[in-house]
Amino acid sequence: MSQLEINTHISVRFNQELESLKNSVLAMGGVVEQQLSDTLNALKTNNAGLAEKVALNDMQVNSMEIQIDEECMRIIARRHPTASDLRLVMTIAKATTDIERIGDEIERIARLIAKSNVPESDSFKTSMQVIGEQVLEMLRGTLDSFARVDLDSAMLMYKSDQDIDALYKELLSMTITEMQQNSDDLETWLEVLWALRSFERIGDRCKNICEYVMYLTKGTDMRHIAIESIQSKLVN
Amino acid sequence: MLKLFEHSRKPIESIPLEDVAIDVKNLNLRFNGKLVLDDINMIIPKNKVTAFIGQSGCGKSTLISCFNRMNDLIHGCEVTGTVRMGGRDIYHKKENVAELRTRVGMVFQRPNPFPMSIFDNVCYGLRLQGVNERRVLDEAVESALKEAALWSEVKNRLFESALNLSGGQQQRLVIARALALKPEILLLDEPTSALDPLATLYIEELINALKTSHTVVVVTHNMQQAARVSDYTAFLHEGKVVEYSDSDTLFTMPKIKQTEAYITGRYG
Repeated sequence: MSQLEINTHISVRFNQELESLKNSVLAMGGVVEQQLSDTLNALKTNNAGLAEKVALNDMQVNSMEIQIDEECMRIIARRHPTASDLRLVMTIAKATTDIERIGDEIERIARLIAKSNVPESDSFKTSMQVIGEQVLEMLRGTLDSFARVDLDSAMLMYKSDQDIDALYKELLSMTITEMQQNSDDLETWLEVLWALRSFERIGDRCKNICEYVMYLTKGTDMRHIAIESIQSKLVN
Repeated sequence: MLKLFEHSRKPIESIPLEDVAIDVKNLNLRFNGKLVLDDINMIIPKNKVTAFIGQSGCGKSTLISCFNRMNDLIHGCEVTGTVRMGGRDIYHKKENVAELRTRVGMVFQRPNPFPMSIFDNVCYGLRLQGVNERRVLDEAVESALKEAALWSEVKNRLFESALNLSGGQQQRLVIARALALKPEILLLDEPTSALDPLATLYIEELINALKTSHTVVVVTHNMQQAARVSDYTAFLHEGKVVEYSDSDTLFTMPKIKQTEAYITGRYG
């Protein structure tokens, strides 16, 4: 967030508070990124123990969300941030909610793996792995664009959600076909559907964070508008 | 669980005795029979910034003036109760008030430099105490001006008139004059109300730096300022302390409805 020049206030304490707030949300993002990486490893290696550990570790993410929210509120009440400082605090508060929800989606996937309920089908496991890796890459890129307040990278990540949506649809139709052929194991397949949905939702959450990065730098709200409008707003 | 932020709320009730700079008990103050401070009971923690907020006439300046007995100078002032510093009641009849005021410095709303040089302003109190050795005065002036974050701006014009300084610089000079006497406690009575926003921020930053070696009590009618600079805040109304707590709590979740109304601008 060097572009925002958060270290240039007369108040050294305010500088420190914003720096610490920024670092905390990046630390939270780092924990969630590791959670997703561990989940994919657990899926690949059938490691139910690792998946269980990931699911339990979501408590840490929840605790971080509460602490960051409280700090945002404290800074607003005591520092009365304005302009880019206010946008930064609001962005962090909103991004924290999305990161926490990403943690919840990862927990859901990890619980499925921990119960060893992933269907044996190799093609299916590979497909889960493929969407998982793609989502992990998007999450990494998103957090990186947030850390560097990099508009170009945020836009790139924003667009990559379309690929994830397309892959999700493909896997969804594949899963429905499997469900029709294995109707005696519907419960497992329903859980798989939820897990796939979770991967897709992580993509949506990353997209939200990309919108916040754009808002932070341009001061324009990019939510609920078409990608073409976003591109034209970024140019202007 | 991982702790993300170092600071934590320390309730005023949890301050141990050894960290108390001022202990006020059953303090009542009357001007010509009229009750102005009504049964004040509070502690001021050491090496922290404590702010008093409240409407004009609520008694905050009167209360701060009790801490170095400035009210003694007002005719018709009658004080009961105790104000202890270092275990000693400063209202005891044997208290040396002149010595008390070197331990408890005070700065007022309007910068009031004396019509003399910057150097002479800063060492005015020391000279009154009989310190005249040039080397000692030089060191004291430099140290006090550095502590007041003014040294770099005036070091090449120490013997120019203090009246040539800007308002913000004059206020920091007055703070330096108080600091030259090495007070344990610094009382600031609306120190920035006559200053522009930028000069205000410099004074606030100075207040934050001063607490490492001094206990600071600041009276302000600017709630935002209290929120920015203070560790603890007391809200006063009609001579009573309505609520007193750590500033994080007071400005995010005050317990008393009257405080909530005041700090959110719903008062009256």
